[in-house]
Amino acid sequence: MLFPTATFAIFFLLVLPLSWLTMPWPHRWRPSIVAASYVFYSWWDWRFIFLLAGCTLWNQVLAVRIWRTQDQTRRKALVFLALSGNLAVLGYFKYYDFFVNSTDDLLSVVGLDVPLGLRSIVLPVGISFYTFMAISYVVDAYRGEFQPTTLEKFAVYLSFFPHLVAGPIVRPAELIPQFDTPRNPRRVDTSRAFYLIATGLFKKVVIANYLASSIVDDVFGAPGQHSSLEILIAVYAYAVQIYADFSGYTDIAIGVALLLGFNFPQNFDSPYAAVSVQDFWRRWHMTLSRWLRDYVYIPLGGNRGRRPILTYRNLLLTMLIGGLWHGAAWTFVVWGGLHGTALVWERFWRERRGPDAEPASAWHRWRARLLTFHFVCLAWIFFRADSFGAAWDMIQGLLTGWGESSPLVTTGVLLAIAAGIASQYLPARIPRLVMARFSRLPVLGQATVLALALMVTSVMGPEGVAPFIYFQF
Amino acid sequence: MPDDQLPPLPPLPDEETRTIEQAVPPAVEDAPRRRARDEQGPRRRLWSAGHALIVSMLALAFGLLLNAPGIHKSAYNKSDGWQRDIALAITGPLADVSHALLLDRPRKAVQAAVGRSGADDIDTDIGLAATPPPATAPPTGKAKPTPNSRDKPAFSPDRKLRLWVAGDSLVITPGFAVIRASGASPAIEAVGGVDGRIATGLTRPDVFNWFDEIRSRVKELRPKVVVLGFGANDDKAYMTGLPKGTSIDAFGGSLWRREYARRVGGLMDVINRAGGFVVWIGLPQTKSSEQTQRFDVVNAVVQKEAQKRPGRAAFVDTYTMFAGENGGYAQFLPDGSGRLRKLRADDGVHFEREGGDMIAREVLKVMNKRFDLTSWRKTAGTRERR
Repeated sequence: MLFPTATFAIFFLLVLPLSWLTMPWPHRWRPSIVAASYVFYSWWDWRFIFLLAGCTLWNQVLAVRIWRTQDQTRRKALVFLALSGNLAVLGYFKYYDFFVNSTDDLLSVVGLDVPLGLRSIVLPVGISFYTFMAISYVVDAYRGEFQPTTLEKFAVYLSFFPHLVAGPIVRPAELIPQFDTPRNPRRVDTSRAFYLIATGLFKKVVIANYLASSIVDDVFGAPGQHSSLEILIAVYAYAVQIYADFSGYTDIAIGVALLLGFNFPQNFDSPYAAVSVQDFWRRWHMTLSRWLRDYVYIPLGGNRGRRPILTYRNLLLTMLIGGLWHGAAWTFVVWGGLHGTALVWERFWRERRGPDAEPASAWHRWRARLLTFHFVCLAWIFFRADSFGAAWDMIQGLLTGWGESSPLVTTGVLLAIAAGIASQYLPARIPRLVMARFSRLPVLGQATVLALALMVTSVMGPEGVAPFIYFQF
Repeated sequence: MPDDQLPPLPPLPDEETRTIEQAVPPAVEDAPRRRARDEQGPRRRLWSAGHALIVSMLALAFGLLLNAPGIHKSAYNKSDGWQRDIALAITGPLADVSHALLLDRPRKAVQAAVGRSGADDIDTDIGLAATPPPATAPPTGKAKPTPNSRDKPAFSPDRKLRLWVAGDSLVITPGFAVIRASGASPAIEAVGGVDGRIATGLTRPDVFNWFDEIRSRVKELRPKVVVLGFGANDDKAYMTGLPKGTSIDAFGGSLWRREYARRVGGLMDVINRAGGFVVWIGLPQTKSSEQTQRFDVVNAVVQKEAQKRPGRAAFVDTYTMFAGENGGYAQFLPDGSGRLRKLRADDGVHFEREGGDMIAREVLKVMNKRFDLTSWRKTAGTRERR
């Protein structure tokens, strides 16, 4: 079930009153919200609800055992078992064919021809997201940072439909305590929720889909047939497309959760206004960034190593794993590697230069923003391209086809890119002002504004609904 | 509860749990001050959950009326069946009410402003003769012999062969592969990119009218070769745009075949009349054996129509091209070196990039049979030697 569909609208109009009406009785609310979430998930493929249920049981049983066990060796064994189970399922569904293919390629390089079995495995939607949330739960229990809750509450935490298929990756300590605190049905931040849902829909349905169909798909599909200008604009367009697509989804998810009375963490904070790659990761997919920090970077040693080289290694490894999380392909690993290398370089530079390394003046900050944006765009080429050959064709095409005609570079495309980038620099007070004004409108006024927003989005969007890019991750 | 009233997140226990990106101080030191300044402003009024429900329902109801023409078109475009009947029964009167209350005007105004006037019109006129004229070269049962290189129209970097690709979602990956592959020949110029439209076909001009699209694009782009791929969404016993007094029977029945052949042949004729050669990419086997059987029916009709037009249309058989060892569906197939490659997407229907490349090679073979795309090299070589 996709957010921008009539099916979801009907589903949500049923779930919204059901959730608020049953909320005073948690033992009724929890099973009903789990049931609703499972219906939402089963819309893609009903068989995968067993996977989700299995993941819930496995992690709940082990987290409770870990929490209750005193013996440190046994606790370690249990957490290892829990992580192995989670990673095995993720590995099977997401990486099986990738590893088999890569092994086959490697063996053939050394002249060995070993027949390896490939399977047609369908990737369950959102598996990477809920597996990461389950890992958070178990590891936090192991670290003594979060006491495992009841199976019912954990099932709600893992399957709660607003975040189920594409995040944000919510930590147990952020969401589970909200299930214990009664939500106040008289104080719902509806204006923020509606603002997020309406802008999220516009970003996804209009901006992302328009750029994809107008230039990105054509140019990335056959870069050799396009001029350098078209390739350059397509790369910028993809940067805006992926931002509009993913942040649009997150905005809708946060808005939907708000209407149900729950707060999700922020996931994007104007990433293309970043002044460094480090700053970019503070603003892009923030919940994944901190997950990687807490469950990969720190266990690897973080920045505790005596020698800086160990910190650099940890940074690089974390970003390589982050790249692989996005997809089972070497192009994603290279994307992660590029970001990791840039983070290492920035850290090295700052350690050498100290405070001088920071952009001090406004001019330096703008230069840093421009450089960071272009580095991020360069890395996006590997993220979007379906092979190294295609990525290389794009990079080569950027240099060799200047002066050729560029029919795909239209005013509409340039305006959409400009709007996407300009939105990063919108002062936070403007949306706050819009939300405040909206919140003071009467019921009919609010409904009219929303209906008009829906109409404009519907007219300007393409026919049909394209899936969100991050669903495949 | 507004976000500024939220309880703070639990503090991080020690310095090593700082984010990767927080491992050094933030680059922009004035950011917190700026943010704090930005966050000042009028406060939002909080409402009840009941208010949220009422606003949502009113907004959707009002939105339904404002968007009624578009929603009615979507209902009309649905696959035939009880769901479509119900949707039409609801959206038809809704569109009438919207029109009577002039609530469809804002939508029309926005459509006009963004250049999409008429997007809600339901156009089922496919513009083909009810009885198809016989193909100009009547079928003889034997294919026209392949022309030798002297008979073939020659193209060169100075006079390029213009190529265009169009079709449903199945044509997208092979289409881009054809364009990439043709990029290796300076004698071929891809025009108009890949016009691939998801969930469309030849049976439902109301969903997307390919007949109008192809007529106008062929006139505009003047392609010499048009690579087409249709049929994956046509395997149903329902068609719109039927000539008056005509009906069809079950999918694959004689009336269905006759009508589908009229559309396929009509489309080929439109392209031929504009001087274009049609390369039609057939439907492959899929993971579902029932769907494969249905695709077989569609392929048979298309193949027959292509055979009726020797020298003007060719059919690329992907059905056998992607067959596995036992002749059935296979997602992975060995490449030239014998190593397994993933050729089909996880959905069991569409192609992966390497599958598209395989089809592209076949398409280029067909084009090389029909056109002379290489003799210019000899001429250029001779000129250079002189």
